[in-house]
Formats: sequence, C-alpha cells, structure tokens
Amino acid sequence: MAVARKVPTYCYQCVAGPDLLNVVVEDGVAVKVEPNFGVKEHPAGGRPCVRAYSLVQKLYNPNRVKTPMKRTNPRKGKDQDPGWVPISWDEALDTLAGKLRAIREAGFVDENGYPKLAVTFGAGGTAPAYLGGFPAFMSAWGGPLDQGIGSGQGMKCVHSEHLYGEFWHRAFTVAPDMPHNTYVLSFGNNGDVSGGVIGIWRHAEARGRGATWIQFEPHMSVTAATAAEWVPIRPKTDAAVLYAIMHVTLREHEWRRVCDVDFLSRMTNAPYLVGPNGYYMRDPSSKKPLVWDEKRGMAVPFDEGDGDGFALDGEHPVSGIEVGPDEEIITHDRVAARPSLQLLHDFLAPYTPEWAQTIADVPAETIRRVARDFLAHARVGATVDVEGVTLPLRPVAILLGKSINNGWGGYECCWARTVMAALVGALEVPGGILGTTIRLNRPSSNRMESVRPGPDGFMAQPLNPTSKDKWQARPTSRSAHKTLVPLVSDGSWSGALSPAQLPWLFMEDAPSKWPEPTPPEVWIVGRSNPAISNWDTDLVISKLKKFPFVAAFAYTQDETNWFADVLLPDATDLEAYQLFRVGATKYVESYWDHQGVALRQPVIDELPYDTRDLTDVGTELARRLGLLERYNEALNRGVALGVPLRAGEYDVSLEPAKAHTSSEIWDRACRAATLSLSNGRDEHDLAWFQQHGTYLVPFSRLNWYLHPEMVKKGLRYELPYQEQLKRIGGELKNRLHEQDIRWWDTQLEEYQALPPWKDFPRIWEKVAERFGKKPDDYGLWLLTSRSMQYSWGSQASLPLMADIARHVRGHFGVMLNNTYAKSLGIADGDEIWVESPIGKQKGTAILRAGCRPDVTVAIGQFGHWATPVASDLDMPNLNMLEPMDLSLIDATGSGSDLIRVKVYKA
Amino acid sequence: MRWGMVIDLRKCVGCQTCTVACHEENALPPGIFWRHVVDVEVGEYPDVRRTFLPMGCQHCAEPPCVPVCPTGASQQRKDGIVFVQYDMCIGCGYCAIACPYRARHMVQDHTWYFGEATPSEKQAHEPERYGVMTKCTFCKHRVDKAPAGATPGVDPEYTPVCVSSCIANAMHFGDLDDPQSNVSTLRDQHQPGVLLEELGLKPSLFYITE
Repeated sequence: MAVARKVPTYCYQCVAGPDLLNVVVEDGVAVKVEPNFGVKEHPAGGRPCVRAYSLVQKLYNPNRVKTPMKRTNPRKGKDQDPGWVPISWDEALDTLAGKLRAIREAGFVDENGYPKLAVTFGAGGTAPAYLGGFPAFMSAWGGPLDQGIGSGQGMKCVHSEHLYGEFWHRAFTVAPDMPHNTYVLSFGNNGDVSGGVIGIWRHAEARGRGATWIQFEPHMSVTAATAAEWVPIRPKTDAAVLYAIMHVTLREHEWRRVCDVDFLSRMTNAPYLVGPNGYYMRDPSSKKPLVWDEKRGMAVPFDEGDGDGFALDGEHPVSGIEVGPDEEIITHDRVAARPSLQLLHDFLAPYTPEWAQTIADVPAETIRRVARDFLAHARVGATVDVEGVTLPLRPVAILLGKSINNGWGGYECCWARTVMAALVGALEVPGGILGTTIRLNRPSSNRMESVRPGPDGFMAQPLNPTSKDKWQARPTSRSAHKTLVPLVSDGSWSGALSPAQLPWLFMEDAPSKWPEPTPPEVWIVGRSNPAISNWDTDLVISKLKKFPFVAAFAYTQDETNWFADVLLPDATDLEAYQLFRVGATKYVESYWDHQGVALRQPVIDELPYDTRDLTDVGTELARRLGLLERYNEALNRGVALGVPLRAGEYDVSLEPAKAHTSSEIWDRACRAATLSLSNGRDEHDLAWFQQHGTYLVPFSRLNWYLHPEMVKKGLRYELPYQEQLKRIGGELKNRLHEQDIRWWDTQLEEYQALPPWKDFPRIWEKVAERFGKKPDDYGLWLLTSRSMQYSWGSQASLPLMADIARHVRGHFGVMLNNTYAKSLGIADGDEIWVESPIGKQKGTAILRAGCRPDVTVAIGQFGHWATPVASDLDMPNLNMLEPMDLSLIDATGSGSDLIRVKVYKA
Repeated sequence: MRWGMVIDLRKCVGCQTCTVACHEENALPPGIFWRHVVDVEVGEYPDVRRTFLPMGCQHCAEPPCVPVCPTGASQQRKDGIVFVQYDMCIGCGYCAIACPYRARHMVQDHTWYFGEATPSEKQAHEPERYGVMTKCTFCKHRVDKAPAGATPGVDPEYTPVCVSSCIANAMHFGDLDDPQSNVSTLRDQHQPGVLLEELGLKPSLFYITE
C-alpha cells in the first residue's frame, strides 16, 4: 500500500492565478494534482484549471535540461547545433558571474548608451511568481539593466488597456463585476478561456441566473459559444460599433434619461469647458479648469461646488486661458466654450449605426438593440448595499479582447468602452467595470492607496516627462520607453511594457537620428521564448545570433536557448520555494473577499534532475560578485518577497553579510507576511506554510471599487475628454521634431482628445504594398485565439496537453469557414498553405461554420523547431507571417495579432 | 439509492479540466479518456450553435453492456454504478459494441507519454487494466471511501473527480433516489434531458440545456 501525502502549492502558469492545489505524493513520487478544497475562501472552490494538471508531467519530463550545459559550437544559427556539454553549477555560475563582473568593471552602459546587461523573463506577468529571490539580485546589480528586449509583450497582451486603463481608473486589467453584473457586451474578450478559474466560475454562475453576454467576434470562440448571442464582426472594426453605441446613447435617446447625469457632473470632466484650441478653459490665475455654473450664469473653477448645476451641454461665453503643449498660454475674452460632454455629443454625430454597419458588417438594428438593452440593464439610479455602504449599482460592462485591445484601434476601443461606462456611471461601482491590478502606480498591492490627487481634479499619474527640460532625448533602454511612451512611466514594469519589439526591429534597421540598438553584452532569459513569441521570428533569430553571451534559465531545449552560451536548468513549478500574494484584487477577474499569501514549494524530497532554486541562483551570483549586502538589503526591503522583512512593528530581516539558503529566505518572508497581514497577531514560519499552504485574512469588498475612494478624495475621472493626452502628445511631437525625428509621427496622431474613427483595417491591407505585393491578393484575415490548454507554462512541450487539447476545436490546424473553403476546393483535413506578404505556413484545414468567410484562425503560438514534443505538433504560427514593421506599432508601442493572408491547397 | 449526475450545459466551457483530472485520477494511458467534453458545432454561418457536451459512461439503469458480457465481468452495483470486474474480463469487446455512448475503452499494450515510463507513470499505473475493458467507474474508489456523515456529491473528496474539479460548477453528483438531494433538486428545477432517450436505457446522466 502506497504511503500518500498531499502537498499544498500553487500554479501560476497564467496571470489569472495563483490557483491553489494539492499535489498527491505516493512513496516519494508526485502522482497527481488535486484541487485544494481546504481553502474555502477561494472564489472558485479551490479549483485549478486544466493546465495545472500537467504539472506532474512537467516535473518528470525526460526532455528537460537536466544539468547545467555550456555551448561548444561558437557559431550560432538555426542550423548550428549548439554542441552542449554538461558542466557543474559552479562552472556555470562562475562563467556568468565572470561576464557580469566584467561589465561592472568596465561600465554598465555601452558606447550607444544602452545597458550592457539585459534580462527578459516570462510573459503576461507570470514571471514574478517563479523568479524567487532573483529580482533582489537585479536590484543589487546597481546599474542600468534593460528589460525592454521583447518576448512578444505589447502584441500578446491587452496593452492599450494596461496603459490607458491604469491612466483612467487604475485598471491595468479591467474586469466586469460579475457577482453583480447582468449584461456584458464583449468585443472579442475570450473570458471563458482567459478569465481564469474565478472568471469562468463567475461567468457560469451569471449565466445560470440569467445574465446576458453578447459576443462580437469574427469567429465563434469558446466564449462566443457560451454567450447568449454571437455577432460575427469584421476584424478591427470594433471601434466603429462602439462609437455607434455611444451615438445611439447620446443622440438617439434622451440622454438625460438614460445617462447617469449625477455621475457625469461630479465624477468626470463632462462639465469642463473646452476652448477653441481643444484645451480646457482655465482660470487665468489658478489655472484651474472652468465649468459653467448654470445657477450663477458664469464660468467658475471646477472645484467651486460639487457638480450640481454645472452645465453638461450648450455653448457658453467664457473668458480665460487655454494651456497648450509646453505651457503655451492662449488667452481668450468671451470666447464660445463647450462642456466636454457637448463636444462628445457633437463628435458622435457621424457615427450612426448605419455608418457602422457598412464598416463592421454588423446590422444597424443589432447595434441599436444592444445599446438599448445595455442602457436598460444599467439601471441608472439603482443602489446596492455593500458591507453597510450604499453604492451605485450599474450591472453592465463592455469588455475587450486582446487584438481589440492593442495595436491601432486599441486606444479608440478602450476610450469608447470606458466612456460608455462613465456615461451610465458603471465605472468602478458594483456591477460595472473594475480595475483589478495596478502596475505603474504605487503601492502596487493597493489600488486605493494609489489614488492620489493630481492636476485638474484628476488622479495623479507618474507619466514620463515630455517637457523640454526633463524629456529623455537619448533612450536608456533599447525599447526607449522613457523617450517614446509617456504613459508607460518608469517603474519596475515599464521596461517590459515598453515598445518591446523596437529593439529587434531597430537592430535590423535603426531609424534616422537614433542611437543604433546594440546587442547586450550579457542577456539573461528565462521562462520565455522570444524566438517563437515575437512577430517575424526569422528577424528575431537573425539578431539573436549576434548576441555575444546568453545565459538561459532553461526547462527544455527551445528556439531561444538554442542561441545560448550557458543553460541553467530551471526549477519548475513543483521544485522551488516562493511565497506569493493571493486574493484581494488581482489580474483578470481575480477579486476575492480575502487576501493573503500562498507558498510554492518543492513537493518531493529528491528532485529528479540537477536543477536549482532561482533564489539560490540569485544568492550565488550576488556572493560571487561581492553584492551580498546589497542583495540581502534588497530582500529586507521586500524586493522579490512581496513584503518587507523589516517594518515598524516587526523585524525578521536577514543578516546582510551572509549567504542565506532559499528556505531561510522564504522562512523570513513567511514570518513577515503573516505578521504584516495579521497586524502582529500571527507569525507563521516556512514549516507552517509547508503544511497549510495558504494564509488568508478578510478583504473588504469595498476595496473592489474605486468609487468610494474617489468620492472621499474629491477626485474625478478624466473622461470623456482627453485634454491631458492631447497636451502631452503635442509636447512629445515638439521634442521629437526638435531632434528631427519624424518616423514616430503616425504614432503621435494617436494623442487626440476625442479620437475620430480611422480606417483601421486599411492599415493591414496596406502591408502588402510595403513588401511589393498586391493587397487584393491577400483577401483573408489571419487571427489568433487563446488556447486554455496551451497558453504559457511550457505546455507545448508536454504530450499530455496535446492529448487533452485535441478535444477542443481548432487545435492542430487552421480554422476556415466551411463554405468559403469549399469554394477553394479545400476539404476538412486538407493540407493548406497560409501565405502572408512575408512568408507562408503549412497547416491542416479545420472547416467550421462558426467563422466569418473572410477570416482564418490559428490558435496560440507554435511553429517550434527545437523544443521537444512541440516541434512535432502540426500547429502553424501567425508570428512567422506577421512583419515586425513600424507601421503596425501604435503610440503605446503595441501591435495587434492579425495579418492579411491568402490560403490555398498544399 | 442510485448515483447520478446533472450536467448544466449552460455553464460548461469545454475546458477539459474534468477530462484531464479524470485521466490523472485514474492513471489512464495516453489517448484513453473515460470521459471528455465533446465540442459540437451545428448550423450554417452565421446561424451557428457551439455546445460543449461532457460525455462518459451514462451508468444506465438498463445498461446494455451488462447482459452481453459472456463472463459476468461487466456488472452493475445496487447503487447504479456500472463497472468492469477486471479479473473476470476476457477482453472480447461485446460490451463496447453494445454501448451506444462509446464509453468503453480497451488498451492491449502498455504505452507511456515519452516512450519510457516517467516515475509518476510507473508509480500510478494499474497493470490489471491491460487487455481488459475499462470505463468510467463514477470514481467508486472515492465514493466508497465516504465516511459516516460525509456525502458524495457534497463533500468533494468523495465525489467523482470530474465533478469536483469542474471550474464552471457545471456538474453535480448525488443520489437520484433521494428527493432532497442536490441532483433531485436540479432535476425538479430544470427538467434536464438524457442522451438517446429513445433507446430506453434510463441513463443516470442528465443534461440541463436551457
């Protein structure tokens, strides 16, 4: 009879986690994964999703990199076998430390101004849950470090939402408040695949009680399948339908009856008067924006009064100033000024449902119907009691999917979605849309505390400066985030959120007046496969070959670490320690009634291979480089651990001069976290967590909603009018033009206060011309769609997941509309070519009725040629067909995962 | 007592978490799934419906797989669970032909995901299942472990793993004969249907569709 025990741990193979689970270990061997039913506080009953069940196979995978290796073939190329030979951990770490020491001795920055050390980790924010203490080593490094060499971020994330969402309502990620919501308009948001177990659980519960979800999407995804209605919209036209919904709301309904006038007056810039140049009319002495006080018949600063009686429409004679870019003052004497909402009303005039129908192929009557239903479900005026506090109840939400939410059109969609929420007061209140995460503001663990008063009655936002004296003219990272993207700020996440494809693109062809990006002297890469997950992978590979020294934390051989010089075998999910925050409000739809921490831990005593905990790797590198004190002090400050080891009420800090083991370090983190969460009541050590797994305390549901905090601090959302963006865009344009840089001009056009519709599909149609091809030859859209089974976590290398994924439509081929395919003589199962202007991929045709005739879909990211198991999968990859081209990159630095193609029988 | 399931198709998202949880719980070999979710698409563009249909042994009250078994290996318990007594099975396959739900699976040779068995595969696999018919057991090894006071279908440890792992709360297990049970309440509320009702096999899996 086997002796079995259950080891609690977590899975964070996607940002919707951590998902709590138990690993069953029999006779010292991990045999299976189970939900952790003991955590009653988990909103989805302690259940992990399908991917977590692969963790045992992931642990014992015989194709893993089992010991440190060094390259013996000095030539690098796809056709060059690296010639790996096993080495000891000491030799591997000495080699890496030697390279790093040389940088420290010769200077951190190269002749072009770029950091000599670059790191690229993980995707979608999952990396921090697996890096252990390594970020403390990065903190101790003591010099600039480039995190902007991209692994697909900006193209594979909801980038516009990240930047604009956090700017508008502290919403790096946006979620519907599903426990209260009754009506969702989803534009490509595949939440029943990407929403995590909590999102999926809550969506299902909502369907069970009769909530309505309408899915606009070019193909019938899993979420479209579970929705009440699928509306097959033409790709990249979502903004047109959203604008038409706004048009119907403000121009076809009696807007004062359907909108939340009180919310607009008190909580937004709807009453702010705008002058003839498009900037707020301001009081000349205080420079405060002016509103029109209808009771007094005069313009007053916005903070004179609480919004009652402020005009939301009309045109009013106002004297004052406008402040343009670079503090340019424009003085007016009794000029006609209109409130922001009136400007929006006027702006929307051309965007009728009939206009949208011609663009989006969505019937005008459908647009009017969903707008009407949205307004009815918004229940303007309704309230709900949340823990004894009366809050507005607005159970409606508009959600956006990945390729709607990034690249050209992403700004317009995010803006329209957020404005619609503001119009009915469904922003940051029960039932509406909520932010769950912040990444650019501080403290990152507390959205409420991040709400600080800023200029003009809005929240403060740490923008990268665009003024003449403070703008960073010479980029200090290869993705130039401080130079080109004011919204992305300059925090620890900013590099990874920057235009991360620019380094690859500019290493190929540096634009004029720009310091040519150089390959980093040392590149550390882990839990990431940029040679698969970027666009134009051939371009990426051609640059990777020139990286002089690459150290890769490696799970298996893959397409990126093929170019490495040293492989450091990565401890997988079930092999290393880490304490990680759970609960509160987090990415995607993870918002709880509790908050706390969970332990990831080695589930078996004897690990199968010679892997090493990343915390120990960080410690060893710090020791070898003489950085131990700085490293330990970083840990003591809470870097990597998520909680300081020394705070006012407690001190469990590490002795600075000593090299501590991973278990010692995480033991301190366990103690600090429990002391911090319990206000000194509880102190639990590592041994306690090894047994119990998770520690939770209550988390007030009032913290789900920003509204009470905004009211308390007397702040407004900068919606609908984008005066600040218009001004900083103008300043950035001035700065770049002063340097004679014109290649970012198209991106600068995004900074508009009321962004008009642009012919977004045309941007992709024109790609063919750039490559000397005819656009008409590429009549289909190629899109991607998320696979729950395969996204992240090296699942592509696990045969179990291939076995599972074959039950879900669309895997292992290319989806096409059945009628269209037949017109080309293509039958289900036929081998076909999918060809874009830059290349072609072969795949198996999967014919479907649930796909627009002008669309083809390739799930996920594949096309592996070095990763064991994955390279045997017949899965084409859009990335190989999409050019890395400046014309496809928007002002935030992101791009949309779609390209025009043609298909034909192979 | 008769164990059964009520499956809410409005909630199922076809994620296959139940599929993989069953596969791991029962240490099944590659390519063998005692249950999985069928991804069904019907209609013509743009009038299309896509539905996710969890499928496995229906544990029929009148199981056609039982009387055709020449050795008596294919059996039905008093609580309705249909199972195979492996040491009596000769692997003739009659029961598989008789089953209209394609719920029976036979593996002749040992196979492993990477060619050779991993430590977990070695530890968990059950040699008695080769060369004989296998199928969903309603996780009777979990159900039968329920101590006094615990209720399969309510207490997840003693519930079939497909139900207790479901991340959409779409599946429910309980005693169909108990009018107060969770599954009876759901049947009263939603009047769920069964698959191939016209065959008169009285399946124990009920599906809520609207």
